[in-house]
Amino acid sequence: MSEYSDKALLPAGMCDVLPPDAEIEAKATESLVEAFSRHGYERVKPPLIEFEESLLAGSSSAMAEHTFRLMDPISQRMMGVRPDMTLQVARIATTRLKNEPRPLRLCYGGQILRVRGTQLRPERQFGQVGAELIGSAEPAADAEVVRLAVESMQFLGIDNISVDLALPTLVPAITQAHGVADEVSALLREALNRKDAAAVEALSGKLGKDLANMFTTLLAAAGPAEATLGILEKLDLPEAAAAERAQLVSVVEIIRRGAPSLTLTIDPVESRGFEYHTGVTFSFFAEGVRGELGSGGRYLAGANNGEKEEPATGMTLFMDTVLRAIPASVPAKRLFLPFGTAIEKGRSLRDQGWITVEGLDSGEDAGEGARHLGCSHLLTNGEIREI
Amino acid sequence: MTRKREKIVIALPKGRILKEVMPVVRRAGIEPEPAFDDEGARQLRFSTNHPGIDIIRVRSFDAATFVAFGAAHIGVVGADVLMEFDYPEIYAPLDLKIGYCRMAVAEPEEMVGNDDPERWSHVRVATKYPNITQRHFARRGVQAECIKLSGAMELAPNLGLCRRIVDLVSSGKTLRANGLVEIEQIAEITSRLAVNRAAWKTRPDEIGELIQNFRDAMLSKQAGPPAREPVS
Repeated sequence: MSEYSDKALLPAGMCDVLPPDAEIEAKATESLVEAFSRHGYERVKPPLIEFEESLLAGSSSAMAEHTFRLMDPISQRMMGVRPDMTLQVARIATTRLKNEPRPLRLCYGGQILRVRGTQLRPERQFGQVGAELIGSAEPAADAEVVRLAVESMQFLGIDNISVDLALPTLVPAITQAHGVADEVSALLREALNRKDAAAVEALSGKLGKDLANMFTTLLAAAGPAEATLGILEKLDLPEAAAAERAQLVSVVEIIRRGAPSLTLTIDPVESRGFEYHTGVTFSFFAEGVRGELGSGGRYLAGANNGEKEEPATGMTLFMDTVLRAIPASVPAKRLFLPFGTAIEKGRSLRDQGWITVEGLDSGEDAGEGARHLGCSHLLTNGEIREI
Repeated sequence: MTRKREKIVIALPKGRILKEVMPVVRRAGIEPEPAFDDEGARQLRFSTNHPGIDIIRVRSFDAATFVAFGAAHIGVVGADVLMEFDYPEIYAPLDLKIGYCRMAVAEPEEMVGNDDPERWSHVRVATKYPNITQRHFARRGVQAECIKLSGAMELAPNLGLCRRIVDLVSSGKTLRANGLVEIEQIAEITSRLAVNRAAWKTRPDEIGELIQNFRDAMLSKQAGPPAREPVS
């Protein structure tokens, strides 16, 4: 192996982001945070590393297997590098900001690190940008977060967004009301998450025919929101499950009022990736883009640090996928200023919005220098000329 | 939306299953171009009677990979492949009830009888399915060392590569011809309609209609072609 390749090789799932991608990512992150702050969400910045026991306490324990750990030589305690920012923000809201008026709107943007990439996202480090709305249990809060995500992504030029709503609490509410054994529920969850109709049918011996039929119906109901709600409303659900359904109906109604033509689907049985969620959840997709652009949903803030639990909802956008969905931008115009161009001249051109690249060598041909450095324009005799 | 949409790509597995799948595909109202049935054709991607649908023909393990990464939107994938890889991006909403077989553990005839599975702590197994095999043996506290082969598993015990194999068994003829006996069944296997998650979420109407067409095709197995209009 040459010395160069020795140095260039990075650990799996890590990459150098080069021009122009690094700038596109930074700008997109800032645009999203700006869009959130226009809706009254205030930015917070949690640290990269926290003590393991607070980072991974309670509901966030689902993230334990994704977390890099290291020993703090000062306190001699184990620390974890954040694998996700949502729970950090929830911790801030329920500790340091617990006396702020509710509902509290916070947003954030930063990098996270995971032990393993997934099949669709081999990256172990990627950016997350998100918003959390803490202290309201109203369906209007869920709808606000969905609208916020969609509008901010549209602000970036992503126009083919679709939103999938799920209700990970629905299936447990039904199985509990019918006294289904835990191990059967676990098999059922797995089958429903894979949308494996055959596996659900195979459980009909253990569930009883009526209940198995209900889950088969729920599984097949996944699809466009209005059609799915039509099917859900006809089901005879136990009380707790019916309450979940009512909440979903109101959320859909409010989202629709603001976005009549949005592609909105409902998946009543999905629970993967929503381990700590307690109500309506959302996933964002863009047509033709692999994987989710973001996800989020209702959860209990403070459940991981012994503070009073508060109803909360929020969403996180995954920048690696968001960037794949952004339409390609036109490369910026760069103007070459030959050696000796007056400093004031350059300053006034930059004020007009030009990106300027100055020649450093008195002997070089200006046209040559401009082409060499990939400039689109050249300043000659005070005139701007396209190359 | 006026934007031109990507074609829907259906991934079908080559070989044994294809013959059983095609009647279902046709009953679902999808008719590939004539080159599809030409064994000698080098073409891998085929158009259909629907301008918005193409078919690709790939190896059965690859059909799952294409669907998992969204390169194909829909596919026909054996439950064995879904179990082996457990792709989170694949939904399997429909059991096509074709390609029946079972996944089983087999060993040489002469071993049966003086082999007590209760005493195992470690087994060495030749298989195309290392994940399923490991999970299966781990559930009963046995560590499985898997030797990954791509075919002709039945040779392994006779040539001393290992003593047991995990493979798909349909009639059991190949096992018998190689002096092997099926000792345990791991799962029953059929082919499933596999759907890419993001495709289903972003194009719910088209994908939903295709799934429904396949479902109708299953129900009308003996009857004539379905009355549904083609997906546009």
